[in-house]
Amino acid sequence: MTFGEKQTNPLAKTHWRGDMQADYFYPSGLAGDKFFKHLKENDSFLATKCTKCNKVLFPARLYCEDCFNEIPDSDWIEVPASGKIKLFTVAKLDAHGDKLKDPKVIALIDIDNTDGTLLGIINSKDYDRDFTGAKVKAILRPKENREGTLKDIKYWE
Amino acid sequence: MVEEKKDPAFRLRETKGIMSWPPYAPGTHVRESDIREKKISYTWWEPEVQYAWSTGHAMNVFLDGLKKGKIMGIKCKRCNDRILVPPRMFCEYCYGPTEEWVEVGDTGVIETYSISYLDADANRITEPILIGVIDFDGSPPHHGIMHYFGEMSKDEIKIGMKVKAVWKPESEREGAITDIKYFKPL
Amino acid sequence: MKEVAVIGAGMTLFRRHLKETGKELSFLATKMAMEDAGIQKDDIDMVVMGSAPDAFDGIHMKGENLIDGSAATNKPYVRVFNGGGTGVFAPIAGWWHVASGVADICLVVCEEKMGNCYPHPQTAFRHIWDPILDRPLNTNLVWLFAMEYNRYMTVHNIKKEWIAEVAVKNKRNAVGHPCAQLADPNITVDDVLNSEIMAWPVNRLDISPPSDGAAALIYCNKDIVHKFTDDPIYVGGVGWGIDSTMWTNRDLYFPRYVANAAKMCYKKAGINNPTKDIDFAEPYDPFTYKELHHMEGMLLCKKGEAAKLTHEGVTQRDGDMPICPSGGLLGVGNPIAATMGQKVCELYWQLAGKAGKRQIPGDPRVGVGMAWGDIMQMATVIALRRG
Repeated sequence: MTFGEKQTNPLAKTHWRGDMQADYFYPSGLAGDKFFKHLKENDSFLATKCTKCNKVLFPARLYCEDCFNEIPDSDWIEVPASGKIKLFTVAKLDAHGDKLKDPKVIALIDIDNTDGTLLGIINSKDYDRDFTGAKVKAILRPKENREGTLKDIKYWE
Repeated sequence: MVEEKKDPAFRLRETKGIMSWPPYAPGTHVRESDIREKKISYTWWEPEVQYAWSTGHAMNVFLDGLKKGKIMGIKCKRCNDRILVPPRMFCEYCYGPTEEWVEVGDTGVIETYSISYLDADANRITEPILIGVIDFDGSPPHHGIMHYFGEMSKDEIKIGMKVKAVWKPESEREGAITDIKYFKPL
Repeated sequence: MKEVAVIGAGMTLFRRHLKETGKELSFLATKMAMEDAGIQKDDIDMVVMGSAPDAFDGIHMKGENLIDGSAATNKPYVRVFNGGGTGVFAPIAGWWHVASGVADICLVVCEEKMGNCYPHPQTAFRHIWDPILDRPLNTNLVWLFAMEYNRYMTVHNIKKEWIAEVAVKNKRNAVGHPCAQLADPNITVDDVLNSEIMAWPVNRLDISPPSDGAAALIYCNKDIVHKFTDDPIYVGGVGWGIDSTMWTNRDLYFPRYVANAAKMCYKKAGINNPTKDIDFAEPYDPFTYKELHHMEGMLLCKKGEAAKLTHEGVTQRDGDMPICPSGGLLGVGNPIAATMGQKVCELYWQLAGKAGKRQIPGDPRVGVGMAWGDIMQMATVIALRRG
């Protein structure tokens, strides 16, 4: 009965190593395309207002997921690239579980004049501070270096 | 749960009475050139994912056999002594454990094949790859593995042709399916 | 068990790359289905999402990611997946929800963004193979279909010309479809046979393209269907089944797993004589020979006979047994799970008389759709009937 057989050879191949190779390209979508193209040229964000439930959706979306209402171009509004920190953490490990040289402060930021939030890195070495409620501003890359992706926001201060 | 609601804020197109569906095709076509020229906004990501798959006991014995120049199968006594190649710990038909190891031998017959002008990355190649399934002599009909064919041209290969394995020299074998280089005509 | 009726369907454009995100595509398809049914988001009780591997969209757990666009926020929701079979399996899972009585109205959405996997979804497809026995041979997925095509063609002694006629029929049928990616009113058998060889016997025009797209379907139970229509289209039967992964240990010339799923569906639907009781069918056609292979698996004709029927014109839209009147995957596109648009939504539109230029003449009353997936394993079959 093979289930009961014992493997006595210490050199037996018990694992097969390999990887998954694939590259990905994520189009930002109809709403995302407008949002990032605006961010490339301006120092502000775009949000969308759902006239049914009056929520100001951020990041800007094609539709309101609660009302299932498609949002027309006329309901897109410009909002400042600033907000207040809602939640934060100080990360000491990187994505692979190795220790970071310098810890990073990561925060969920309530964007001003909207009902939405954005994840961002706070440019601060004050690791013992309580950042909750702190007002922050997005520091953007110089316009000529912007690509039209989230990386155009260098960090928040 | 269903009410007669007519909400003017909900942007419904008037579709009652339309008898050709779908009435429109929502979606925005993007060409390869639009992507290359960055006409649309996108984010690029290259994930790094590594794996170490457990081989399991049956595959362990099979790979070990390949290193020694043997193709191992395993018998299910409940299913008329069906010899399973590749071997596995249990028979998927009767769902019972398989019992006896059997050396299947390395000759067989071509069950099916393809002449490919594409390599693994979908690049075009000029010298075609001959790939197919070998039905081993030592196992019941339609029980075999997939492998390359060699020492035959694309005009010679056909279903039913007798073939034999060509092995790598013993020093180069590592306990992998590639210890067999290809199957050649007998 | 309650009787289940289809009251609305929708689908998006199918193209190699679409600008919309997965969520936006799901939204557009769902919105069209809701427009067809005349309902709002709050009317929907539960949502079923069907979407093929995360590896295409490149978002792990994409079922959860697509919720917003699928009208599923704060609702019971489930994502189902079985490879290419998802296009018909998601409607089957939606049927469970309504037939069991746990939902009165259920939305089924299928979405796919194969274009995200760059430069070609083939890189994701490479990972379907067994990592120990198959991948070290540097395999390309087209080889697998080429081997099955060869076996089918050789065992039944069928000419490639007759198999190529499937591509001609479907790409011409797709001309009436607004979402179609590869419709071609002038394509000929010579075009197909002279297109570049990928892996013999598969030529480029024998294969359906990878696509982005989404489709949606709305079910309700018999008790409330009178609020939506006087002429309901019901789900007559469902069937599904899977064969073993060990595809090298099976004779590929006949898909027995399709026959098993079809028998299960026909039994429920009361179809005793498939060739007489079924008016038209949408078998899964990612490759030309696959349509024929599946026709035989669905017991619509004898083994080896499907190519002859195609050659004689029996499977044209105005023939005795129209097959793939939508244009199928070869004509409209193949965004894996979103092929529900051709395989199930099309059945509904044809039976309701709403298929426009693609409408089958006469009075079709029973249509059968089918999808196929994984490594020559999964079959899902659904039968819709009028009244």
